[in-house]
Amino acid sequence: MNRSHVDELDKIEMPDGFVWRPVRRRFDIRAFGVNAYSAREAGSQIVEEHTESQLGHEEIYLVLRGRARFTIDGTDHELGPAQLVFVRDPSLRRGAVALDADTLVLAVGGKPGEPHEVSAWEWMFAAVPHARAERWDEAIRIHEEALADRPDHPALLYNLACMEARGGRHVDALLHLRRAIELDPKYGEYARGDSDFAAIRNEPGFPV
Amino acid sequence: VADGYEILSLDDIEPVPYHQRGGQKLLGIERRLGFRAAGINGWVGDAGEPLVPKHAEDDEEELYVVVRGRATFTVDGEEVDAPAGTLVHLRAGEWREAVAAEDGTLIVAVGGTPGRPHEPSGWTDFAAADAYRRAGRLEDGRAAIARMLETLTDAWYAPYNAACFEALAGDSDRAFAHLAEARRRDADSVRKWAQEDPDLDPLRDDPRWQEVVA
Repeated sequence: MNRSHVDELDKIEMPDGFVWRPVRRRFDIRAFGVNAYSAREAGSQIVEEHTESQLGHEEIYLVLRGRARFTIDGTDHELGPAQLVFVRDPSLRRGAVALDADTLVLAVGGKPGEPHEVSAWEWMFAAVPHARAERWDEAIRIHEEALADRPDHPALLYNLACMEARGGRHVDALLHLRRAIELDPKYGEYARGDSDFAAIRNEPGFPV
Repeated sequence: VADGYEILSLDDIEPVPYHQRGGQKLLGIERRLGFRAAGINGWVGDAGEPLVPKHAEDDEEELYVVVRGRATFTVDGEEVDAPAGTLVHLRAGEWREAVAAEDGTLIVAVGGTPGRPHEPSGWTDFAAADAYRRAGRLEDGRAAIARMLETLTDAWYAPYNAACFEALAGDSDRAFAHLAEARRRDADSVRKWAQEDPDLDPLRDDPRWQEVVA
């Protein structure tokens, strides 16, 4: 048995204002996706606007505390405690804004008919505070941990290359960037304008 | 309900007494929504009432979320105070139960087996069917049984449980029809369980019973 209170979960503030409160990662849950979200303040984003088209997940967002205004496929719904929205269709755009400062939303999701795979974005989110504080070694370690679980994941390889380039590990950065582009050529386009690669852009072997 | 999504208040789900285990009040969230990615259900109760029946999971891990009120969990003999906002994570094999410590307590349980896709087990349909039967709502009960049978098209225990429902409802023709289907799926298991199952007592003097235990 392992327990925690939602207020004891890590608070990882993301660039567009919502605060990720890792639940799955806290307990190392492997059977389904589950996370909580809070907001910087009333009026801030609490669930980022996104679709689940890429992952194919269906999702339940359950309000545990406070109130939130969800926008699902362009329609607003105000939800309070013990109310939920179930987004069955992965292609629908969804997001929410907190209406109270202490609003807390729990999200449960997964892809029907398939064993749950930990989403790569969880590691990327976990690395954000380290990258923001320029703790490159820790940010790199989290990406390496992710790649041990999800080898050859192009977005993880690309992000790892970004961290390595910023952290002065230029040879590794070139290697991982090349591999990301091999797996998905769109990362070549991303790298072309990505300031993370400023330090290696003129190195021989920079793949763009 | 809109295309592709649904808004729901957990307070709008009718709680179903889980009579097989002690009358805990179950909210069949997974069935109500048609959620397929994981098992998800709720339990409600007032102070002193049982919330989660004592059990251990064979393979599943579970996360319990106290949404409202306060619960006392007992896990492998250890008591855990769980006010609103508490998350309790349990792995397979751990014995768990919970009792409400405040009126209006509501908890949500999410479960699944690592490395395996979620498959609905139909147990909440049978719990609902049994509760409706006891309340004299036979047609609601039969509708829940029908949902269970639609979900579990191979498992022998689905028609077997349907037979238990009909035996207790007093419809022996329907009960024997379900038992025939259960035997078609797994005659050995039916024979083994039927011998001593008190739910099937109303059928034992019927001449057709010998075919069940043959």
